[in-house]
Amino acid sequence: MKHCMITTKVNGKEYVRAIPVNMTLVEFLRDELHLHGTKEGCDEGECGACTILFDGHPFNACLVLAAEADGHDILTIEGMADDDRLHPIQEAFLEAGAVQCGYCTPGMVLSAKAVLDEFPNPTDAQIRTGIEGNICRCTGYNRIVEAIHIAAEKINAAG
Amino acid sequence: MTYKKSDQDQTSASTKVKTTTDLESKLKQLAASVPLSSIGTEDVYVDQAGKVGVMGNYQTVGHPEERKDAREKVTGEAVFGPDVEFPNMLYAAVYHSPYAHARILSYDLEDAKAVEGVVCVLTGKDVPGRFGAFIADQSTLAVDKVRYNGEPVVAIAAETAHAAKEAVQKVKVEYEELEAVTDPYEAMQPGAPLVHDNWSGYAHAADFTGRDGTNLCDYFPLRHGDVEKGFEEADIVVENTYRTAGVNHSTIELHVATAKFDIAKNRLTIWSPTQSPFMIRKQLAGLLGLKQSEVRIVCTYIGGGFGGKYEIKIEPIVAALAMHCQGRAVRLVYNRHEDYLAGCVRGGTVIKIKSACNRDGKMVAQKIENYFDTGAYSTTGPRINYNAGLAAISPYKIPNVWIDGYTVATNRQITSAYRGFGMPEYTFAFENQMDLLADKLGMDPYVFRMKNIYHTGDVSATGEILPEVGLEKCFKAAAQMIGWEKGDWRRHVTEDGKWRAKGMAGGIKLTGTPSSSSVVVRFNDDATVQVSQSGMELGQGAFTVIPQFVAERLGIPYENVSVVPVDTMYTPYEKTTTGSRVTFHVGNAAVRAAEDVIDQLCDLCAIGWEADRESIRFDKGVIFGPMGKKLVVKDIGKTSLMKEQDPILGRGTYSTSDIWDKPDPDTHASKKPTVQWFWAAQACEVEVDPKTGKIRILDYAAAQDVGRAINTMNCVQQVEGAVVMGMSHCMLEELLDDEQGHLLNGNMVDFKVATSQDTDFDIKVALIENPVSDNLYGARGIGEPPVVPPAAAISNAVSRACGGRILSIPLKCEKVLDAVKKGPYRKEAE
Repeated sequence: MKHCMITTKVNGKEYVRAIPVNMTLVEFLRDELHLHGTKEGCDEGECGACTILFDGHPFNACLVLAAEADGHDILTIEGMADDDRLHPIQEAFLEAGAVQCGYCTPGMVLSAKAVLDEFPNPTDAQIRTGIEGNICRCTGYNRIVEAIHIAAEKINAAG
Repeated sequence: MTYKKSDQDQTSASTKVKTTTDLESKLKQLAASVPLSSIGTEDVYVDQAGKVGVMGNYQTVGHPEERKDAREKVTGEAVFGPDVEFPNMLYAAVYHSPYAHARILSYDLEDAKAVEGVVCVLTGKDVPGRFGAFIADQSTLAVDKVRYNGEPVVAIAAETAHAAKEAVQKVKVEYEELEAVTDPYEAMQPGAPLVHDNWSGYAHAADFTGRDGTNLCDYFPLRHGDVEKGFEEADIVVENTYRTAGVNHSTIELHVATAKFDIAKNRLTIWSPTQSPFMIRKQLAGLLGLKQSEVRIVCTYIGGGFGGKYEIKIEPIVAALAMHCQGRAVRLVYNRHEDYLAGCVRGGTVIKIKSACNRDGKMVAQKIENYFDTGAYSTTGPRINYNAGLAAISPYKIPNVWIDGYTVATNRQITSAYRGFGMPEYTFAFENQMDLLADKLGMDPYVFRMKNIYHTGDVSATGEILPEVGLEKCFKAAAQMIGWEKGDWRRHVTEDGKWRAKGMAGGIKLTGTPSSSSVVVRFNDDATVQVSQSGMELGQGAFTVIPQFVAERLGIPYENVSVVPVDTMYTPYEKTTTGSRVTFHVGNAAVRAAEDVIDQLCDLCAIGWEADRESIRFDKGVIFGPMGKKLVVKDIGKTSLMKEQDPILGRGTYSTSDIWDKPDPDTHASKKPTVQWFWAAQACEVEVDPKTGKIRILDYAAAQDVGRAINTMNCVQQVEGAVVMGMSHCMLEELLDDEQGHLLNGNMVDFKVATSQDTDFDIKVALIENPVSDNLYGARGIGEPPVVPPAAAISNAVSRACGGRILSIPLKCEKVLDAVKKGPYRKEAE
């Protein structure tokens, strides 16, 4: 398999790597950088578990080639907390009881961030649309919607 | 079904429901949208608007403590099955059968072996032996014959995942296709293609009831009274055949396992997100000719189980590869399509049911024949048949009951445990019947149910005196929360031409009995405790509630207690994490382990204080001695009592072997078939668009007898999640195959599970307090029971709105439209 060089920033850190041209971004994150927080659930863009932010936009990392990340900024779940301090969205997920098995949680948190970056005071409908690509089999979603509202309050209160 | 006006008036809900108990007056406040904080009552805890409070009077039990696993899950640190990796690891891939039923004629593996990086290629010939919890009918890789579309045929290990997948593409197998059977009822008819020739030729459990020369691998009869006489004498009889579709667990974490074989120690280690580490250890040891001590199962977090990770599944495949790969670790992760093909499912059912009552609204008789599709191998089908068969007595007191459960092999995906274990299916059937009988009586379906529900002390259809039945409170709570007493449960039409109605259903389920649990706790000299146990965390909160039990009993802060990772080499035996059993069973063992620590702490105090052991007593976290001496256990680190003292080990076990009354095999009469029954009631309001068949749930109410909540937040999570999962089964999910048994929708677009857009309705949850006497804090299991009623409650509402009964789930739009078109209100839809 042909290889190519990429330079990409993941969670603020720059990586320069030679990678196979057919490597997906989720493979790059998990197998090359060993960032296992990004989950893989279907490998075809259906479940949303591998959601990351690509220049701030929510992408299914299984549908993006790692080569496409060349020159771009990637945010994964590992980049959400500030050292020991959880991101307000993470705190809100804990408070609202939005975490059960936890497998969809990293992707869900990143989709939540994308929602809140776009809509600082989101409606239920905006939240539900923002996370519609993230399947959760445990919670029934209502607590996740609630968590995103709580996160909005936290972020807005912090200015 | 049409209503006579006089009948409706005669049995108006409002006259029957409005009594004046505290519970009801408290629930009325809810109907008026009063905030949760003002609703706290002694016997019911209601959650609303995401606020979750405290149940009971303890320092940590009954509190919505933050889950122990939540922080590492929101940061991405939690290790799941696919996150296990080792240096020099190999990647496995599987070639699956393209046919549902075929004889294997030959293999051509040369091209696959020639792919660069391929290390090992195995077929069924290389992996002898068969496994199965009740009938050992399954081989690791197909031998001679394939029996379902997706059956693993060839396993490959390679240096990279891409090489392994490429090699799979190059496998060539020649087959002779055989006629397939895909419906459990048809599979029971004479002349149906045989999936297995001869059940008794396989090793099997002692109480095996399969019939050779048929597809029946398990039969369950329950007999109580005389049903035929009951039907003759009853005023009203209703008979129907119901069907439920096959559904896949669709956990977001796929089936995965990693294996490594240590040649020097002759030891196989498996890393797996399994719900049953000790069961798979035993089965793998038997299959591979190893001692149980030579098989080690290291458990990761489970990214969704719901029963799908209960059985031995892909572990034998990675184990076989690892044993052929010279000490290198081998990891296999199914992709989503493979997971649908060769993971496992809840098979479909065909349920023939005849139900009868008298004019006074009392149930007289019920006869059920349930044909469970167990797929190509028996797996846990016999156990589902047994557990669900016992609970199929229903939540209603019926003097004459006949249940025949058939576990039938077909050429479809393999069934395994699935949250609810057969009861959502049975409940869909008998709760639809309850509505039909009520309609024939002209009686409010709620009133009809309340006339028939079991109460504490009633004798069940198996002959058990039922303890602590919470059904009445559950039904009252569900009815009140959904506003049933207003009487608009009946079909009515909105101004914009939509049809609305309400529906309800009860829930009954048992937990597998007998079983046992064990817990070892290590009490350190700073009053922190590490709990060793093997109940798995699959999202239900096991790693949270077990520490709550220990902390409460020892009187130390919840924060002081943690759970160690589950590993069969170190943590003690646990049957399985299934059947909603962990909170109750492991909780009991944990309390005993904590009490063992208390005993030893009292011994230490006696020595330290130079006092008689008899003069020392423990109460709520404090040890009292003579002369006013006392030790606050959580402050033990400030004393010298544990100096020069190893951490204290406390041991606790709990088994239900001694209380179980083994049911009679012919009638399943038993005075104690289960250590614990679960009770629920749910109700909902739906709106049907008669022009498109689209269903909208407007409101949902779920009442669950929790005994006493150990963690109120976990309980509410379980109920909400179960309602949505049950709704998804009822309205969306269906595994489709063609006549040759090819799976047609093995992906998450065509097999649709509920998303955030499908769940935009309020779920009101009532946790009913009804403490269980066999548990110190009164806990009852919670994981599965709330998934039992949703399909029945929703379909009752939808059928009522349509004016015609839909006898199968899922309730696809076309079925709804069909019911509208054939119903008495069809003119309104035009």
